[in-house]
Formats: sequence, C-alpha cells, structure tokens
Amino acid sequence: MRATAFLTLTALMAIAMTYSSNAAARKTTEAQIVEVPVPRSPLISFRVLLRSGSVSDPEGKEGLNALTALMLGEGGTKKLSYNEIINTLYPWAAEIDVRFDKEYTVLTGEVHRDHVNEYFKIFSDLLLEPRFDESDFTRNKELLLNYLQNTLRGNDDENLGKQALNAMMYAGHPYRTTEWGTVEGLKSITLDDVKAFYSSMMKRGNIMFGIAGGYPKGFIADVKKTLAKLLAGSTPAVRLPAPAEIKGIQVTLVQKDNRATAISFGFPIDITRSDKDFYPLMVANSYLGEHRTFNGVLMNHLRGDRGLNYGDYSYIENFIQEGGSTFPVPNIVRSQQFFSVWIRPVAPQNAHFALRQAIREVQMLVENGMTKEQFEATRKFVINYSKLWLQTQSRRLGYVMDSKLYGTSYFIDRVARELKTMTVADVNRAVRKHLNCKDIAVAMVVKDAEGLRDALIVNTVSPITYQSKPASQSILDEDKIIENYPLDINKDKLVILPVNELFEK
Amino acid sequence: MPRILFFVLALFVGAALVPQHAKTADIFPYNIKKVVLDNGLTVLAVPYGSPGLIAYYSVVRAGSRNEVEPGHSGFAHFFEHMMFRGTDRYPTDKYNDILKLLGADSNAFTTDDWTCYHNVASADALETIIDIESDRFMNLKYSEPDFKTEAGAIFGEYNKNYSMPYMTMFEKLQDSAFTTHTYKHTTMGFLKDIEDMPNQYDYSLKFFDRFYRPENVTIIVVGDFNEKNLISLVKKYYGKWQRGSYQLQVPLEPPQTAEKVVHIPWKNKTLPYLLLGYHVPAFSDANIDKPAIDVLGQLLFSQSSPLYQSLVVEKQLVEFISGGAEDHRDPGLFTVVSRIKDKKNIEVVRDAIYTALEQAKTKPIDPKRLADVKSHIRYSFAMQLDKPGNVAVTVGTYIAMTGNAESMNKVYGLYDKVTLEDIMRVANKYFGKDNRTVVTLSSEDAK
Repeated sequence: MRATAFLTLTALMAIAMTYSSNAAARKTTEAQIVEVPVPRSPLISFRVLLRSGSVSDPEGKEGLNALTALMLGEGGTKKLSYNEIINTLYPWAAEIDVRFDKEYTVLTGEVHRDHVNEYFKIFSDLLLEPRFDESDFTRNKELLLNYLQNTLRGNDDENLGKQALNAMMYAGHPYRTTEWGTVEGLKSITLDDVKAFYSSMMKRGNIMFGIAGGYPKGFIADVKKTLAKLLAGSTPAVRLPAPAEIKGIQVTLVQKDNRATAISFGFPIDITRSDKDFYPLMVANSYLGEHRTFNGVLMNHLRGDRGLNYGDYSYIENFIQEGGSTFPVPNIVRSQQFFSVWIRPVAPQNAHFALRQAIREVQMLVENGMTKEQFEATRKFVINYSKLWLQTQSRRLGYVMDSKLYGTSYFIDRVARELKTMTVADVNRAVRKHLNCKDIAVAMVVKDAEGLRDALIVNTVSPITYQSKPASQSILDEDKIIENYPLDINKDKLVILPVNELFEK
Repeated sequence: MPRILFFVLALFVGAALVPQHAKTADIFPYNIKKVVLDNGLTVLAVPYGSPGLIAYYSVVRAGSRNEVEPGHSGFAHFFEHMMFRGTDRYPTDKYNDILKLLGADSNAFTTDDWTCYHNVASADALETIIDIESDRFMNLKYSEPDFKTEAGAIFGEYNKNYSMPYMTMFEKLQDSAFTTHTYKHTTMGFLKDIEDMPNQYDYSLKFFDRFYRPENVTIIVVGDFNEKNLISLVKKYYGKWQRGSYQLQVPLEPPQTAEKVVHIPWKNKTLPYLLLGYHVPAFSDANIDKPAIDVLGQLLFSQSSPLYQSLVVEKQLVEFISGGAEDHRDPGLFTVVSRIKDKKNIEVVRDAIYTALEQAKTKPIDPKRLADVKSHIRYSFAMQLDKPGNVAVTVGTYIAMTGNAESMNKVYGLYDKVTLEDIMRVANKYFGKDNRTVVTLSSEDAK
C-alpha cells in the first residue's frame, strides 16, 4: 500500500491564511478572482459566480436566466458539442455543473490535476464561447418545463410546498417565481433571447472567479487572460423592493391527490449574514430547528415525542442541502432572506395539529426566549458544527466567496467571533425583533383542501391521531393545549390552488 | 461532564486531501491498521490528513437482507432509528446533549446489506464518542411507548417518500423480481409491515440481540488520532461486549425463468418512467463477473454511452437514462431507469435499451471506450476520498460486502482486468429476456 502525504496542521493553517482576492475585486467593473491555494491537493476546484439570477428575467420571459445557465453548464462550446465535452471529461471523472438561484448563478467544477489544463480550456470556452446549439436549447428548455410541470407538480410534495411558500412570501416581488421560471415564461423564450441575455450578463464586473486546490504555478495568469476576453463593465443591480407585508396567518392550500400533507411556513426577514443580528438569530434557529439534527425543539417535540413525521426544521436563510449531507450548498447568496419552518409530510388527519404545534413552538421561542443553559449549549454546537462545513476545499472556496458577496469577514470565523461574545439576552432580543408567530405565510400540499380550509377558518379542535399513544402524561396534557391553539387565519387570503395552476405564470 | 465537552473545534481549519495520484497499483491510498478484539469486534484505523477532525463510523453487517421472518420487513431500518432512543446511562436527551456540545455531525443510514452509524467531530471528542457509541451498542434500552412513537417517524419517512415515483417503482420491481430472497422488499419494508411495527416491540429486542454483536460490527476511524490511544480506548469501552450466537439463514433466490411485466398507474401528473431489472451476481473480489457487469453498465448507460447520447442528447426522447448494479452481499439486480418525455415512446426507448444490450452480446466494444471506462472508475474512486467521512463510508461499503477492507483493492484490480470478451460473456449470461423484470409508471390518464 502506498504511503500517503499528510498535511501538518501548520501547513494547513498557513493555507487557510493565504486565501486572497485579486486587487481588482474592489472594482465593480472588473472580475474578482478568489484563490484558496492548497498546494499539496491533487484536485482543483472551480466556482464561477455570475451576478445573474431569476430576478434578472425580463417580464414574460421567466426562466431565461435558468435556461441560459443550462446552456453553459449543459451545452457545448464553439469547438466541442455537448456530447464531445461529456466524452472528453468522462475518462477523468471530471464534472462541470451549474446551479441557479434568485440573484446568482454558479458554474462549478472539479478535476484531478493530471488534466487541469485541458479541463480549464473547456471550462473557459463554456464561459467565453458557448455553442448555443438549437438542439441543446430544446433539450434544456424541456428539462426546465418538465421540472415545473411534472416533477414539482406531480413527483415531489416537499419541494412543491417550499415553492408554494416562496410564491406567497414574495407575491409581487422579483423573487416570486421559482428559480426555474414559469411555464408560460419558459415557453416564450427563444434561442435569440438566450444569446441576448448571455451577452448582457457575461461581463467582467458580474463575475467572481473562484479557484481552490493544487493548481500549477502560473495558472492564475491563464485565468486572468481568460477573464480579460470578456466584455468590461457590469449590469446594473436589480433593485429589490421590500416584500409585501404578511397580515395574519395567510394560507395557501395546494390541492393534490397525495398520501400525506407537506407543510412549509415562514416570512421574509430583513437581515442577512451581513448583519450583526443574523448571528444571534443563527443560535435561536439552531435551537428551534437545526437542519436534520435532533437538536431542535421542533424535531424533538413533533417527531421525537409524538412520532408525527420524519423531521421538522427551521431556517433563517434559503437552504439547499448539499447531496446526501446535512450541510447547505454555498453560493446561493441572496440580498433578502426569510425565516421558514419545514414540517415533513404528516398524516392528513394530523396536518392541522402539526401546524398548530409548530407555530406554537415559534411563539414560545418568541415570547419566552431561550434560557441561559439552552443558549450556552446551542452556542457551543453552532461554533463547532459550522467548522464542519469546510471539509472540502470546494466548500471552503464557496464560503470565502459568499463572505465577499455579503460584504462580511470570512463567515465561519465571524460565526465563532460573534458567538464568543454573545449573550442569551442578545439572542432573545434578536428573536423578538425578527421573528413572530402572528404574521405568517403557510403553504400546505393536501388532498382534502376544502376540509382543511373549513377547519382552519373556524379553528376546529384538532386532536392528534396517534398510531400509539405516548405514555407521558405531560405530552398528552400538552396535546390538549395544542389541539385548541388558536390560529388567526386571514380568511381573505386563504386560497385553494389546484396543483396544476402553480408556476404557470 | 467529561472535559472534552468544552472543547471548541478550533484546530480544524483545512480541507481534507484526496490521494495524490489516481493511477496507483492499490486503489486505496491510505494505510489501514486492523485490530480484532477478543470478542470479535474489528477496528480499522485509517490515518488521514484532516487535522483536528475524525470520522467515527460503526458498520453493522445487518440490513434489510437480514429480515428473514415474514411480517418483519423494514426492521433493520426501524432498528437504526431505535438506536437513538437511549440507554440507562445516556438516555436520549443526554445522548443528544453530548453530541450537541461536541458540534458533531451525527446520523445513521440503512441499506439492503448493512447499517451505518456515523459521527464526524473534533479529534478531541474521540473518547466521548467511543463512550457513548459503545454504550448504546452494548446497553441500548428503550420503552415500549418510545418504540411505538418511533414507529410513527418511520411511517412519516415512508409518507415523505411516497410522492416520488421512485419508491413505488422500486417496491414493485423488487417485489416482482424476487420470489424468495429478502431483497423482495425495499429497505423501508412492505407497507403492511410498517403499519404493524408498533406491535412488534418484542421482535425489536430479538433483532438487537441477534445482530448487534461485536463479531458483526466494525468500527472505522478516519482522520487525526493516535492509533495506540484509539485501540486502547476501544478495548476499554467495548471489551465487555459479548459475542452472539445467532446464525442467519437467508433464503436463496431461485433463477427467474420468465420475463415479468408490471405497470403502475400514477394518480398525479408525471412523465412516464421505465425501470428494468436483471438478476446479477453478488459482490465478489475474486470472480470477475460482477466487475465486468459494472463496466458494462458504464459502457452502455453512462453519459458517455452511445445510447445516452442518442436518447438524451440527440433524439431527446428521454430526460435521462442510467443503469448499473449496486454491490450486494447476495445476488441483486442490475437496473436501468429512464424518464421518458412522451408515453408514445415508452416502447421505442425500451427497445433501444434491448438493442444496446443485444449488441453488447455479439459486437465487441471499441477498446478505447473500455480504457475510458476503466480510467473513469479509478478517477471517480480517487476523487471521492475528499473528506474523512467519505473515506470511512467507502471502507465501510467493502466491510459490509466481505468483512475485509482489502476487497477494495482486489475488486479494483479486477476492474483493470476486465476484457472485451468478459463484457460479451456477461452480457450473454445475465441479460436475457427470461431474467428480466419490466416496470412502467405513468399518469393514470396517460396509460
């Protein structure tokens, strides 16, 4: 067996300190280059962030950013067709992926250093000289349309619920559409639209070019040469209005023939990682519902105590899980964020109860705050756990780039620094300021929408139906409170939407 | 409270490193120190360049394959959930509190063949993790009401998957393709058994007693640790664990003798799906058939295959197509799955797949494509070893198959030896009509 080169702690610490951005980073009209060198790593990771997202879609062409992104990530170059690119990358097990969100699109890739120069030629050609093949256009457009019309509407209730919530929270706002666009918008897009959008967006000032790993000496000079070929300048930032106010509990019931009821609720918040209050809210959120852990009270009280469903979590920013891990993907930066609770599908007869219980848990956090003991334990968790988000060089690079976009110091270090001096009073103050349990948008994917609507409007008592009753009398006593917990439903805003009407325009 | 709980994970600042070269003789580039305790518990220590960080994985060689008694499908997975329900010393709340203070990334998963409990945490947390993990493996104790409550979470897991066609399709495929072997049910189990789980408390105790025994478990530690210290701690905490005596008899699956065809009507809107399953041999690090089938899967169904490029990119009849056979301890299935854009093309796509398989039986593959597949397999392996948890799960997969991590190097040695003749031979041997199960799924109104 071959001996392996191990890095010493000192070496790694040195690496961590040497990441830097190009001097041009301070100029908004020039591309920024972000480096995270890991000289002894045999891998090279790329992340190219484009300041272009669904908010940039022209009216009536919703989905144009997504489709343009796919024409880069899943299209060809002037020299190579899409199939030829696949065939070239395949023996290297190298990949190029694209992800698009509201305000940014990121092209990512990773390759073993054995092939980095050939790989970068393709990667840079995708940016500079995309093929815009008519056939690729048709394929990618159908991919997006099928995601909206078939996957979301018919194959994935949990993401359907999340997207329905997004549409409610951001009605009339540039965030209102899905990142994939709308059915009508996509249908109206032509290849010429894509070409024009690409030309308007692919400018040096819109680009942050990230690279990490053991790239060869002189490689950054090649990167700079590549970026210099792009047009100078940048597109003006889309001005985002404040989201419309939510009054009372506004409910959208997505009517769909299903086995269990998916629930998401939340509301926009006016802070991001840039703001000091984000950090105490991070602690409170971890206490309430850290993603896919047993730390949160939502998880412990809904699933752990009552077996209501598979999981219950909360978030203070847009959260997309990376693959099968429990960690968020980097590079989905947004200038406006939202608080949300994700209640994984519950048996229909328990949907009303689960909603009541989850909103009540938010209420208890807002009104009672965290105790000092809860705060101390959660603070330690967040400080340690956030360091686990950096286990690969690509993720580290992503976090460095995100920090720059949020205009903050390195996020993971800032988490540690902010939490070190934080008090429980800071957390409880931030919770009271930014969270609430009265004005909430609720999306539920449900079979008997009329029945649930009637129950919600009159606050029908909704006792939990157990597969097996828990032994704890305190839980059963609390159930009595929850089943009667009043929800101030905004009757004027309660709507039932047949699933096939969603995401149409 | 142990000192370690106040440690702040300050040292871990760097990304882990993958192997320096993808073209080494042994595919696995790290040293593995193996120690077997007197009670049969195996410890694999894998030093890895992740300063301040360890992955601690407990691999139990029991999965849904072990559910041999009727009415108890899904129990390996259910039991994975119960392992978080505490002991006398560390009840659930205390166990969770400890993990919380460590800031550990802690969870578990179950497959057809094995169950894995995984922690990634600060290197200083090693003794605490060994303490709480050994305690629950040796002294798990949960009440019947807790057991019943957890059954609700399992039902919730089934429900959350239900809106996705995949679960239903694979339920039907396995149920149809297998008549006798426990691979007849998915890891989640049959719905009727899941519904009956709250009534099976006594069986859960039996399941723990049978399979959660030291000779059936391997601890894999990857990252930054002192080997001597690790072994001494494992001996200290797991030393009193008693061997078991249960002998599992998994029924053998007889050969399939005729093609099986199943259609699933879907209540909601969906693109049609096509899923094919062919019986193929179990994982082996000595026989070349399964590695040759894996290579065949790449040749015929990877993105670089002519079939993919024709159906997905050129003709655009399907959104995607993929095919391959996961490694299994017993003979499993090679599956091909595709999402088809128009119901009228289900047969066209199906026939294109059959044609590609038939051609593989008679027409030698271009040697360059074979070389490309072998290169892809080696680079994929090298690139996935990019953090301690990924290294641990990779080793765990082979432990699950044979109990021997060296199987990794052996099977990758076999991949290198696969010839064009092997490809044609396995195509002929395993991809006949009578060995096939066909599942289609489409919207009710699209039949």
